[in-house]
Amino acid sequence: MFSVKPTKPTFKSYLPPVQTDVKKSIEPPIKKLEPKLLPGEIVVNEANFVKKCISNESNQDDLWGKLICTNFKVSFIPQDAPLKQTPQLSHLLLGEHDIPLTCLELVETVNDTKGKKKVLGSNQKLKFNPSELILYCKDLRIIRFCFDEAGPDSAKKVCLAIGHYSHPADLQLLFGFEYQGRRYHETKGGRANGSTPRVGLQTPTFGCPSDWDREIKRTGASEWRVCSINENYAISPSLPEYIVVPVSLADQDLKQFSSFFTDRRIPLWCWNHPNGGALVRMASITDPLQQRKIERIFTAITKSHPQRSEVFRSDLDKCLPNIQEIQSAFAKIRQLCVLDPFEESEEKWFSFIENSRWLEYVRSFLRHSTEIVYYLEGKNAPVVLQEEEDRDLNCVVSSLVQLMLDPHYRSLSGFQSLVQKEWVMAGHRFLDRCNHLKKNYKEECPLFVLFLDCVWQMMNQYPAAFEFTETYLTVLSDSMWIPLFSTFLFNSPKQRALHLMEFAKSKAIPQGEDQVVYFPPVWEWSQQFSTKDQTLFNNPMYIGKGVQKGEVKTFRRTKKSYSSTVRGATTSVRNGLKGGEDALPRRGSLVSELKPDFSPVKDESPSERFFRDWFSRPADLQGLLIPLLMPSHVVLWKLFFLRWVPEVCIPSGGPITAFHKLSQLVDEIDILQSQLRQYKAPAQGSMPLPSPSGPPSDQRRMYFKASSPDDPPTSTDCLTSSFPFTPAGNLCRRTVYGTPISKFLNGAKIWLSTETLAYDAV
Amino acid sequence: MEHIRLPKVENVRLLDRVSPKRSRVGTLYLTATHSIFVENEAGVRNETWVLHSLVSSVEKQVATASGCPLLIHCKNFQVLHLIISREQECHDVHLSLQRLCQPESFEELYCFSYKPNVDEKERRQEWDFLDLKADYRRMGLPNSQWKLSPVNQHYKVSDTYPAELFVPESATPPVIVGSSKFRSRGRFPALSYYSKENHAAICRSSQPLSGFSARCLEDEQMLEAILRSNPRSDFMYVVDTRPKLNAIANRAAGKGYENEDNYSNIKFQFIGIENIHVMRNSQQKMLEVSELRSPSMSDFLEGLESSGWLKHIKAVLDAGIFIAKAVAQEGVSVLVHCSDGWDRTSQVCSVASVLLDPFYRTLKGFMVLIEKDWVSFGHKFSHRCNHLVGDPKEVSPIIDQFLECVWQLMEQFPCAFEFSERFLITIHSHIYSCQYGNFIGNNQRERIELRVRERTHSLWSYLWMNRADYVNPLYRPDHSQTQGLLRPSTAPYCFKFWRGLYNRFDRGMHPRQCVEDYLRAIREETQQLEEQLASHKEKISQLEQDQVWSDTWIPTASDNSPTVWAHGNDLGLVNTPQDYTGGFITSSPCQPKAPDGALILVPQDLNQTTDSNFSNGSDQESGIADLSCRSPLSEDSARDPDSDEAAYSAA
Repeated sequence: MFSVKPTKPTFKSYLPPVQTDVKKSIEPPIKKLEPKLLPGEIVVNEANFVKKCISNESNQDDLWGKLICTNFKVSFIPQDAPLKQTPQLSHLLLGEHDIPLTCLELVETVNDTKGKKKVLGSNQKLKFNPSELILYCKDLRIIRFCFDEAGPDSAKKVCLAIGHYSHPADLQLLFGFEYQGRRYHETKGGRANGSTPRVGLQTPTFGCPSDWDREIKRTGASEWRVCSINENYAISPSLPEYIVVPVSLADQDLKQFSSFFTDRRIPLWCWNHPNGGALVRMASITDPLQQRKIERIFTAITKSHPQRSEVFRSDLDKCLPNIQEIQSAFAKIRQLCVLDPFEESEEKWFSFIENSRWLEYVRSFLRHSTEIVYYLEGKNAPVVLQEEEDRDLNCVVSSLVQLMLDPHYRSLSGFQSLVQKEWVMAGHRFLDRCNHLKKNYKEECPLFVLFLDCVWQMMNQYPAAFEFTETYLTVLSDSMWIPLFSTFLFNSPKQRALHLMEFAKSKAIPQGEDQVVYFPPVWEWSQQFSTKDQTLFNNPMYIGKGVQKGEVKTFRRTKKSYSSTVRGATTSVRNGLKGGEDALPRRGSLVSELKPDFSPVKDESPSERFFRDWFSRPADLQGLLIPLLMPSHVVLWKLFFLRWVPEVCIPSGGPITAFHKLSQLVDEIDILQSQLRQYKAPAQGSMPLPSPSGPPSDQRRMYFKASSPDDPPTSTDCLTSSFPFTPAGNLCRRTVYGTPISKFLNGAKIWLSTETLAYDAV
Repeated sequence: MEHIRLPKVENVRLLDRVSPKRSRVGTLYLTATHSIFVENEAGVRNETWVLHSLVSSVEKQVATASGCPLLIHCKNFQVLHLIISREQECHDVHLSLQRLCQPESFEELYCFSYKPNVDEKERRQEWDFLDLKADYRRMGLPNSQWKLSPVNQHYKVSDTYPAELFVPESATPPVIVGSSKFRSRGRFPALSYYSKENHAAICRSSQPLSGFSARCLEDEQMLEAILRSNPRSDFMYVVDTRPKLNAIANRAAGKGYENEDNYSNIKFQFIGIENIHVMRNSQQKMLEVSELRSPSMSDFLEGLESSGWLKHIKAVLDAGIFIAKAVAQEGVSVLVHCSDGWDRTSQVCSVASVLLDPFYRTLKGFMVLIEKDWVSFGHKFSHRCNHLVGDPKEVSPIIDQFLECVWQLMEQFPCAFEFSERFLITIHSHIYSCQYGNFIGNNQRERIELRVRERTHSLWSYLWMNRADYVNPLYRPDHSQTQGLLRPSTAPYCFKFWRGLYNRFDRGMHPRQCVEDYLRAIREETQQLEEQLASHKEKISQLEQDQVWSDTWIPTASDNSPTVWAHGNDLGLVNTPQDYTGGFITSSPCQPKAPDGALILVPQDLNQTTDSNFSNGSDQESGIADLSCRSPLSEDSARDPDSDEAAYSAA
């Protein structure tokens, strides 16, 4: 894995030093509490002798150390090394006790003796000496620091600094700009000779015509073309520069039509069904008088369809919750999961869950998406999704529809390109919805989290259909709060381009340099995680046939696979068979054979019929996937919502134990297959002998390796249900005594305007 | 046969519960043991079999223009909605079924007429399959502290206890008898589980007859003896699993609970599991929620909560955890009781045992556990499961709760149990089906009188023979994750609705994939590859010996093992769903099947109907829709000409 340099003779002795065990020499005699800083990161303020509270019950596990505020993060450096290392995801840019400033939801200072508290924002004063600092994080962590032994002055200063720096006045002040600028220049030499492989580049950005072209070809959308009228954002400020439009519409027409839509958003092509139906999204029409001209767009979409099917229009604003409702549902379920006293929620857990309405919203988005799927797949019709701005609900629904219909998007790279296409490029306002600048709480909405939750629900029902894991989804949601990647920082491609241009200018980055190079997207996972840790994203059960090719046509169910599965399935219920006479698959439909007076099936609606048919067949993981939506199937995403809650953590339990075992099995299969291949390869004597351990460990797909007798006992014995996260040190519930948390988090808008008056009444 | 007023009814419609618009038309037959619905469709015999002993209620609803509806609820949570065109016929079927599903004497029960093709010698061996004494030996008993007491021979001390029991070495017969006189129904403290490692024990009994102030020297000595048999501990817990109020109310009736002042060194603890009546009503409410046709999110969540079912499950599990921790972590012995010591006490002792001892998490161990803490200690199966017509107030889903506790644990520890959900569901079904003699009667004495061992078959050996069907492929017996004490979380989020049991017969309600199926497939594949690798190695060494290590090697290999090439050439293909299904099927164990009804779970991969808002029924095209709703206990009657086929053709 790594080589240790032979120790050189030092000036103290001319004899070569004794070769000591590397592990022993790691222990430094006196530990300096130095923060690990990234390029461009500077320490703003710090306080010593700070206590980080680890457990609710006792303070014997509490850590002592130094609390530091930098221009990027809040960092805590414990005096003593942790006793035992629990296996967990280790972030390359953030330590175990680090929190990016962007991840802070609320910074609260408390003075115990005076019974005072104050929520800190930028440029504020504190009239009392804080005895503790409580950080509420957007990734649902809650961290508490105590200043009993720290100098009152330095405690106050560090709190004020955290409050101030977590409220940046301007987007350019987010640390990512400083960091990526430094990084660009530092790594420039390396890149010049072309030696830096950029894994993230495999994910198309959809910022250039060729990405769209490939997507058109992949989906067989021959009646659609890439159009560049929005180059330099000449038409719409929120659309990407390149969009896909019907072949039958000329640029000139499109320019004219654009003015009839909100934000001049010309209807945006998303995807094509193999049978020809297009999925298109659009904003609302601003000028109803132009109805006739707008009809031409729909006609063009109809024309793009081989059977000239009528367009089905779905107005999402009418049937789905709005962003305020979603935000309030999220606030409630978060409060329930991490804040409410355990004893209170215990008795009424289900009705509290229900009151939050979060699961209901998840279900309604999934349900609406399946209805769209029916039109595309069952009715063979093109679909237009319509929403006021086309930048919120449409993102969720269009991505879910594509996930259900196209297995390509269920691969890791496919999923990333989907997010890139339907969220980043379609102009989802990440900056506002994430509220990175903590300015306008009315615009905040966890729509992307809602989408990830919907994906998780599908994954939960079809565990082998997705290449990625729930750990991946969780880590992706956490990455929204790390401001080092361009993906979640901007409201639109245009805003992104403007900011990055300005940034390039200020950092002396030559014009024409690819933005992805100097401000990479989140998809470059190697920036955040080691290759080994990234294997946690790989689902051991994934069935990825044909995905490499990414051809849509491969996912259509073939006769052969269908019948073979039915045959197999029939035998599997042999216990109920009478001498096998039912074992033959029956052909023909019951409906046609029933006597007319006994066929109430007649009043079944076509969509009911469609779903019934689909569910009556074995699921083809490389085909259409429809989630089950009975209430008992829509469940809380525990890893996301409850990973930090110690009470929920099951030692040696949870789904991870199954994942562990499955990974080991798959790894074993990989090893065996590679051995087989080596045996089968032409044995002309030039081949190396097959190695008994299979492929080198850094090329293995699975995080957990098949155990072999010579492996040392691993630390995986202490897996918990929160893995790869650890709830230790995250305080929920009881500890936050006396704080009207609900007031804070439920109505974030309220406290921001009145907090000083209400909580700092000195 | 005299109860069958009408053996055959034509033109009956069977409605689908999830989507009532869909129905099948056919003929209903009533036999001595089953109701059989045969679908009228050319060329296919599509049948639904329902064992009479599994029917819990038959309800005739108001006739409509289309016919007269008959609703049959089963104890395994199957619901059949029939529409019979003529009211008179419906009436006759209703009356017949009502009588058939409520046998009046034990002799009428299915187990006494159930005759699979097993000869008498084998049948006797079935009953020797489990040996409780072997389990006590496994625990290290008898030893210097615990002895097997003959005191209850011929059920003289307690007629609901087993004849053989372990008691502390120092407990003399007068002490035991004295103590038994001070306990409800003579159920004196006896050993349930013993921990070899630290000598802590779980004992069980019924409540003391303490009233407001009564004392009993022998009972106090008995507890003292239990305490002393754990030399490392200077106190013991006495756990009353009832809510405190219930226990106090019992004092007025001369019963009650132990006074800490009268017993030396006991710590007394109430745990608060509700009584059988509360549990019965709670399950009823929960089932109503599970039967909702197209519930909204709030119908479901609020209904589930107001049923209180999961709260009760949690209470049982919490009690088990308390005891398991006392034994494993504190090394303290525990005496557990409730009122009579056969409901809550059985639940709590067995849950604690599952948490404590990995053996009880194996297939065989789990059977032993039910045999010990439920069957032998006199859980009143016939009353609680309503095997015979009787007092409806005695009926309660106490054993259901235990099975569900284990299922909830399996959800938290997917690799810790050797058996799968299917195993629990099969046991559940047979507890109610009366097909095997194991659960007939209310205690050991009754079973001896009924000569169950002489006249019926045993479920345990049937399950063991078919164990490959019930194995959890994720089980890792030798892994630290699954050894020792399980420490589950009992936060409310950790309790789920058990869809697999309560909605078992609702096609379309089940996930269409499960990890276990994949694992079985992966396992199969590993095995295959290993075999291929071995065969390659063998061939290579053979060829090397033959000195023909040259070009001829490849064709030889490929000719001999085409599958190797299929796998090797396209690695992407090996995991296709077809392979899985195929693999799953071919790999499915070819264990000898006992010729009786193996339970079919609703197949994971087929016959799925969606949420009724979308869909309206289930599969017809694939021709396999009906298999899963067929009575799981049907195969015997179909195959065995001696018993039911005769009745069937007579009908």
